[in-house]
Amino acid sequence: MDDILQISGLTKRFGGLIAVHNVSFSVREGEILSVIGPNGAGKSTLFKLVASFLRPTAGEVRFRGKRISGLSPHTVARMGVVRTFQETTIFKGMTVRENVIIAHQLRARASLPGFYFGSPTARNDETEFGKSADEILKLLGLDRIQDEPALALPHGHLRALGMAIGLATNPKVLLLDEPFAGMNHDETMRAVEMVRGVRDRGVTILLVEHDMPAVMQISHRIVVLNFGEKIAEGTPTEIRQDEKVIEAYLGIEDETIGF
Amino acid sequence: MEQVVANGLYLGAQYALIALGLTLIFALMNVLNFAHGQMYVLGGFITYYVYGQLGLPFAVALLASGATLAAAGALIEKFLFRPVIRRSIREESTMLLAAAVAFFLDAVILLLFGEKQRGVPKIVNGVFLSDALIMPYDRLLIGAVALVTIAMFMLLMQYTKPGRAMRALAQDRVAAQLMGVRVDRYSMIGFALGAMLAGVAGGLLVAITGVNAGIGGPISVKAFMMVMIGGAGVVGGAIAGGFILGMLESVGLSVLHAYGDITYLVIFATLIVFLSIRPNGLMGKPWG
Amino acid sequence: MPTSKLIWVLGFLALTLVAVPWMIAVTGRSDLYYTLTAVALLAIASGGVWLTFYIGRINIGQAAYALLGGYFSAILVVRYGVPFWLTLPLAGLLCAGASVLIGLPILRLRGVYFAMVTLVLTEVTRLLALALPVTNGAKGLVNIPLPGPITLFGVALLPDFSTLANPRRAFYFAAVVLMVVCYAGLYRLVHSRIGRLCLSLQQNEELAASIGVNVAYLRLVVYAISSFLGGIAGAMFIAISQSIYPSSFTTADSINFMLNCFLGGLGYVLGPMLGTFLLYFGWDLLFNAGQFQLLIFSAVLIVLMLTLPNGLLSLRPWKKMKEAVGG
Repeated sequence: MDDILQISGLTKRFGGLIAVHNVSFSVREGEILSVIGPNGAGKSTLFKLVASFLRPTAGEVRFRGKRISGLSPHTVARMGVVRTFQETTIFKGMTVRENVIIAHQLRARASLPGFYFGSPTARNDETEFGKSADEILKLLGLDRIQDEPALALPHGHLRALGMAIGLATNPKVLLLDEPFAGMNHDETMRAVEMVRGVRDRGVTILLVEHDMPAVMQISHRIVVLNFGEKIAEGTPTEIRQDEKVIEAYLGIEDETIGF
Repeated sequence: MEQVVANGLYLGAQYALIALGLTLIFALMNVLNFAHGQMYVLGGFITYYVYGQLGLPFAVALLASGATLAAAGALIEKFLFRPVIRRSIREESTMLLAAAVAFFLDAVILLLFGEKQRGVPKIVNGVFLSDALIMPYDRLLIGAVALVTIAMFMLLMQYTKPGRAMRALAQDRVAAQLMGVRVDRYSMIGFALGAMLAGVAGGLLVAITGVNAGIGGPISVKAFMMVMIGGAGVVGGAIAGGFILGMLESVGLSVLHAYGDITYLVIFATLIVFLSIRPNGLMGKPWG
Repeated sequence: MPTSKLIWVLGFLALTLVAVPWMIAVTGRSDLYYTLTAVALLAIASGGVWLTFYIGRINIGQAAYALLGGYFSAILVVRYGVPFWLTLPLAGLLCAGASVLIGLPILRLRGVYFAMVTLVLTEVTRLLALALPVTNGAKGLVNIPLPGPITLFGVALLPDFSTLANPRRAFYFAAVVLMVVCYAGLYRLVHSRIGRLCLSLQQNEELAASIGVNVAYLRLVVYAISSFLGGIAGAMFIAISQSIYPSSFTTADSINFMLNCFLGGLGYVLGPMLGTFLLYFGWDLLFNAGQFQLLIFSAVLIVLMLTLPNGLLSLRPWKKMKEAVGG
């Protein structure tokens, strides 16, 4: 399997604070790689850097050999690296189906004037988007509520919608930001299946999570961050036994318990 | 050279007063007080009336301006802004309310004081002469009073209980509420204070340049420019913005004099370039 | 276009182009022609402001483009003898071009910051008009000739306005048609995919970027369209008043355009049209109050803001629901 994403020496400084320091790893095509670490380890910042919503202070991100760090976020999205958002951000004013349809935008072949005047290409696009949207909605179990206003959705469905929006862009790499957050066991299992289903369509998945059982279950490989630095990388089994990881997590636990 | 700097400083002090009021209101309530220029004009007219017409001492006139505007500000906040902020979904409503209040004050000023340009007799005679610069004493006095007012304002914000409450409110409304700050009361005090500063600035400047009913709008525009330069919602930013604009005006008037009235054009072009690099001004808090 | 919408448009045209002139002829109130023409043109400018709201920006600078468009048209007509009807779209395009230059640095500003910059824009355009030699400074440009004819293959599609007995009525027709065309265009924009993309910008710019929307580009395009509308409204106004001064459009006008949008309701395309109509007529009606005109007007505005903080069209119950869902 080839490396589809290469992250080398990625560093991000905010004024005096170093959020991410010299992080390097690769993501192989078709795998599910999870980034974990205690709170404040820099996972969110790393994510934003990879999807190019932030400019790195040093280092770079390459997608299939091409440098993407520093490009504008919509360009990176068009190249195939798409990010979902932690705050379950969706387009609140539209229905579920409309959300997914609009997310097809970067697949549009018609131009803006084309869409305005309703050119044949535009109409073609709309039909295709509709079909693709229906398929995605079905895959993620949202088809029954497709005409509900998005802002009225319960938590779990919002997550699924976020993923649907990501899928609509036909990504090569999907960056999932805490996809299992706030879910109970059943919901998490369903979400894990969903993510597997997405991956089986040929999408490489890079995800950030806190939910350890889910991460252990779903990931092919795991990268562990602590205080902005990479402290371990490997398969779930390897990570589970890695001393540095245990120390990082246990250390935090000691603090909270008060030893 | 020194003349330009001195003019810039004395202008800057006045402008800083205006900007302070505007930024305080913005910091506390996220409201852009469109009526700020009109409050300034009202202050000027009140001083004109009390000092120029009634013949009372200038200090009394200033106090009258300050007090009237403070009262007006408090009433406007309590009965107009507070209900609208509570009831509207969009944040633009308050902006429009402020615009309507500006029009209203314009109308009131026109009705009460007429259209004519008004001035007052010099508060102090004589001129400071040196090789480097000429500065009339009254300008020096006005500048000094402005600086003292600014200093008092900063002391108030830094060391008194209401000042600390207002700063807490400006930083984080919810947190301030949780800590027991009475949001309603301090919003009102803040707005009144902001209006008072505008009124005092107007009273001060009427002694130098006079006042007329039409300059409310342009003064508001200038105030916005200062806040844009220095950054909205931050006291230091307002002062910086005021002094910078005062200095730019002074420099512009002397240097660009030959080219006509393009001082503000140049200022604006520079401002746009500046804002492209630093969208929040020198020290401003980001929107939203 | 669906039949029901077409019927509405035709009905509106029938009302404005047939019923109103008839009523004016009957009542002899030919001064109303000017009032209604003004409403139509101001509604176009306000429509532009409304469009900027649609991408999440508060635009208090439209009067700058009205002034700019007016001057562009006047200069082309007076100094270069270009026929007016040609200058109309040209002025719009030139304004759109200017707005791209201005928009590039300022559109990334948000909220109050953007609003403040646009407010200053109007004032600066006025200063520019005062300073430049081509605009003739404070004296302005006067004696601008009335629009000439539009002829195609020798057939006069539009008569020479100077030959008309009632040019006011002709301007009224022209303004109404222009307004309907502009609003039809706006309506189509909002209901097309582009409108959806703008909505996505309004709601969440980061998410829009992550689905491939070129946020900066879309904002610029919409701002250019908005300024185009301001420009043609200004140009048309000048044709009617046949003169232009640096004070022809002021910051108060910019604020009024915003008020028009707001009163009508920011969620609806027709909002600015309704708002302009009400505010302008309201102002006009108060003319008899003499010196109290502004006082009463602004007092009423304040009361309206207190009672209807979300605009007029938000009153109707089903539209309220639509807005709650539509954001």
